[in-house]
Amino acid sequence: MTLISPMVDKDKTAERVRARIESGGRDPKDIGFRWLMLATLLFSLLVLAVLVVDVVGDSWSVLSSRLGDFLANPLRSRSDEAGVFTGLRGTFWIGIFVICLSFPIGIGAAIYLEEYATDSWFTRLVDVNIRNLAGVPSVVYGILGFTIFVGLLDGPFGEDGAFGKTTVAGGLTLAVLSLPVVIITSAEAIRAVPQSLREAGYGVGATKWEVVRNHVLPYAAPGILTGTLLSLARALGEAAPLILVGAIRGRLGSNAGFFELGQLREQFTAMPILITEYATKPGDDWVPVTAAAIVILLLVVLGFNAVAVLLRNRFEAKREGK
Amino acid sequence: MAAPVMPADPDLLAGNPKRRQKESIVKTVFAGAATTSLVISILIVGSLLWKAQSFVGDLISPPADALAETRDGMISLSNLWTEQWAPRFMQFDIKTLLVASVIVTVVAMAVAGPVGLGAAVYLSEYASPRVRRILKPILEVLAGIPSVVLGFFALRWIGPNIVQNLFDSAGNQSLLAAGLGVGLLTIPLVASISEDAMRSVPNALREASAGLGARKFTTSTRVVLPAAVSGLVAAFIVATSRAIGETMVVFLAAGGSGNSAQFTVNPLERGATMTAAMASQASGTDGTIVETAFNSLFFVGAVLFVITLTLNVIADRFVRRVRQQY
Amino acid sequence: MSTKLLRLLALLFTFTLLAAACGGSDDSSDGASGSGSADAGECGEGSISASGSSTVEPITTRAAELYEDVCGDIQITVDGPGTGDGFALFCTGETDISDASRQIKDSEAEECAANGIEYTELLVAFDGIAVLTNPNNSAVDCLSFVDLYALLGGESDGFDTWAAGSDLGAGLGSDVAPYPDAELFISAPGTESGTYDSFIEIVLEGVAEESQGEEAPAGFIRTDFAGNAADNVIIEGIAGNDTSLGWVGFAFAVENTDIVKTLAITEEPGGACVEPTIETIADSSYPVSRGLYIYVNNDKLTSNSALAPFVEFYLGDAYTEAVTEAFGPDAGYVPLPDDLKAETDAAFAGAAG
Repeated sequence: MTLISPMVDKDKTAERVRARIESGGRDPKDIGFRWLMLATLLFSLLVLAVLVVDVVGDSWSVLSSRLGDFLANPLRSRSDEAGVFTGLRGTFWIGIFVICLSFPIGIGAAIYLEEYATDSWFTRLVDVNIRNLAGVPSVVYGILGFTIFVGLLDGPFGEDGAFGKTTVAGGLTLAVLSLPVVIITSAEAIRAVPQSLREAGYGVGATKWEVVRNHVLPYAAPGILTGTLLSLARALGEAAPLILVGAIRGRLGSNAGFFELGQLREQFTAMPILITEYATKPGDDWVPVTAAAIVILLLVVLGFNAVAVLLRNRFEAKREGK
Repeated sequence: MAAPVMPADPDLLAGNPKRRQKESIVKTVFAGAATTSLVISILIVGSLLWKAQSFVGDLISPPADALAETRDGMISLSNLWTEQWAPRFMQFDIKTLLVASVIVTVVAMAVAGPVGLGAAVYLSEYASPRVRRILKPILEVLAGIPSVVLGFFALRWIGPNIVQNLFDSAGNQSLLAAGLGVGLLTIPLVASISEDAMRSVPNALREASAGLGARKFTTSTRVVLPAAVSGLVAAFIVATSRAIGETMVVFLAAGGSGNSAQFTVNPLERGATMTAAMASQASGTDGTIVETAFNSLFFVGAVLFVITLTLNVIADRFVRRVRQQY
Repeated sequence: MSTKLLRLLALLFTFTLLAAACGGSDDSSDGASGSGSADAGECGEGSISASGSSTVEPITTRAAELYEDVCGDIQITVDGPGTGDGFALFCTGETDISDASRQIKDSEAEECAANGIEYTELLVAFDGIAVLTNPNNSAVDCLSFVDLYALLGGESDGFDTWAAGSDLGAGLGSDVAPYPDAELFISAPGTESGTYDSFIEIVLEGVAEESQGEEAPAGFIRTDFAGNAADNVIIEGIAGNDTSLGWVGFAFAVENTDIVKTLAITEEPGGACVEPTIETIADSSYPVSRGLYIYVNNDKLTSNSALAPFVEFYLGDAYTEAVTEAFGPDAGYVPLPDDLKAETDAAFAGAAG
């Protein structure tokens, strides 16, 4: 790459450099640009602030007066009776599915790709495939869930009611949706492990698995945890795939307890679905209810997010400090 | 005097058969996990094509129950090109949805492109490490906001406070409001990919530029941005793909939830994008729904899938170019 | 040193998360599910499923919600896929109650009979549909079904002024045509709404057959407007345009008579114009009204001990609120006059034995 054009006059360059140094970096155009760039960044943060203030403000009348009720009641047709119990319950169980399926499978796949796979057509295929899967719109995962978990599996395995428009189908769909992101972030974390660590392990005669288990995974754990938490948070906030899988927007008959396993075979709803339903109800009296449900979802989702980001920053700082 | 180097036979080093057996089991399990992703892809393509081709088949040789829903008793492939999207009457005008998707995406990128890029320039070129460590996580929090929340925000705040204030003729739901909402959603994505691209530009280039007496402004715009252009293009394409595929913001704020939409090129009007049409089709309807109408969902899904896949493949090319360069 | 510790903790956390979430669930199952034994005497035992019309769904839903305070352990699922879909489930014995915005069709009754399903029809409420325009539109006060067909029916696609429908209306015998030469702005429910279907069935179907013969195509409403799912948006649309035309459920119109104008309707051109009010809807003199029904499976009344107490509650303690406040404290349907309510109660008493 040519950086210096032959036309540059050495004296002029020297003069410019001197001027720059003497001005102490206070060039109006430069400062203007700097502030403009900062302004765009602050704009995003301002939006975030407006959103939070607006939503929390709207929600206050509900959260301050009947928080207990609100957490304990299901979706109701009256704004002063409506709550989020069934939504929280569904979101909890969906989270369990994501943790139990896509975390182990995703981390396993990442270990395979980074530690075991040789550069073959298969590896390249899997690699390209995963990156493309991560870009598939979530609503398309809903189609997968609808066709396979609600439709196809309902026939042969539907006898006991596990499939169909059930919590199982919703959980599986979101587990599938978060898998590519779990694989990608875990693989990145594993890739960041210094090669010397592995070589030290092999040097004392450890097998690949022993090296992975005792050296690579512990070193990569913070990175993996960050990635998996972020993908969990994303999955819990997804509404579109659940709409396609048939999450209930109206009255959900089930009055199962929060931790009751039987509900996995029943119809379900989730926080983002409840919010969608409340947001589309006519009348201003639903606004505080919707906002309150949003605050609760944000607490859950942004909580996971914040933990993940803080965790990563902490380790990045540590690693850089070394 | 030095000990002779041992022949490094990995088989010998790996130890006894039991350990090696365990090793091969572990490897198989992990390989199985990696293969899951291929299965998922096959299932996605399969479930889209299965019903999508049955939908197209219905258009070519229409079943009686579908014909009964039409005005003129005729269905053909030309039903994919009419003036409106109204599956209940066998009006499957794909351009109504495509144009609405394009409007929303263009608006979204008009917001997310410059803002995301600016934020990235600041974070990568100007911010001190300390400032960066504070600001970047907040931007990442914005990325974590569920789209249904931004949808509600677009419906309740952006629509009335921004769109309706600027344009008298706009309703509280419009493609413009939805586009702005999707734009906010994609800002962090543009910012983070762009920042990665700019940070991967070697410092030597910046130093050379500064050494020539260039201002930071000149260095940023004439040296760093051109050097990172592949990554910036990738960021833009990935965000476009994300905007096209975004569902809930549009479902709530664009007003196309009535499961029918008129063809429009006016961003101030209500409309249904591909994603919103799919969600409305799936979210319950009154009156017995004809299977042909329902299956249009899969056809739209297949079109959406092809579009986003194409964009992602192109973006991937650009990302790889960045990696090769530096 | 502390980095290593943190790293170890993170690893530990990842795996405990996995283990706790995935492994620990077996033991908690029996403890939690044992809560289903309240006073089984009055409430009965089991669960109830209702499906059918989305128009009736709010009534049944409200009754079910109120029932939670009385018999909280009875699970009641209410779904609203549509009257036809509801009967399809009901006549195969899958649901206990079928919500219907019309009486059962002969073909559906035969299906029930073929499966040995006996049922009781219970009229529960009346629903009116208000035809609306803007209060500033003084040119129109009363329209007949024929006029509505000429302006909103399947043959009116593309009419962007009221006057454009004049020939069609006059040809069908309208005495109001020609209509004013003003923009025709339509604000009405979308195709997913029960009110959309009702408008076709009550107003347009008959005129369409008259105009186009027996084989009049389905979807008798013009398709060149964007329907909306939200009633308040429809109302806003009517209020926002001086020469608008549209329709919503009666309950939403009465709330907004300050910003929209309800039109009087007559079935035949030249007939008596009737304004929609609670009285005219209840006595059926307002022509755009219909009865709302629930159908109860007779066998289930005895085999499902939870069903009879719920229906009794539905028609008894819950009735007034469920019907008149189906959508909220000030929006609902029109309850039955005393004589019809007595008939419904008697029909249920007969079935329940």
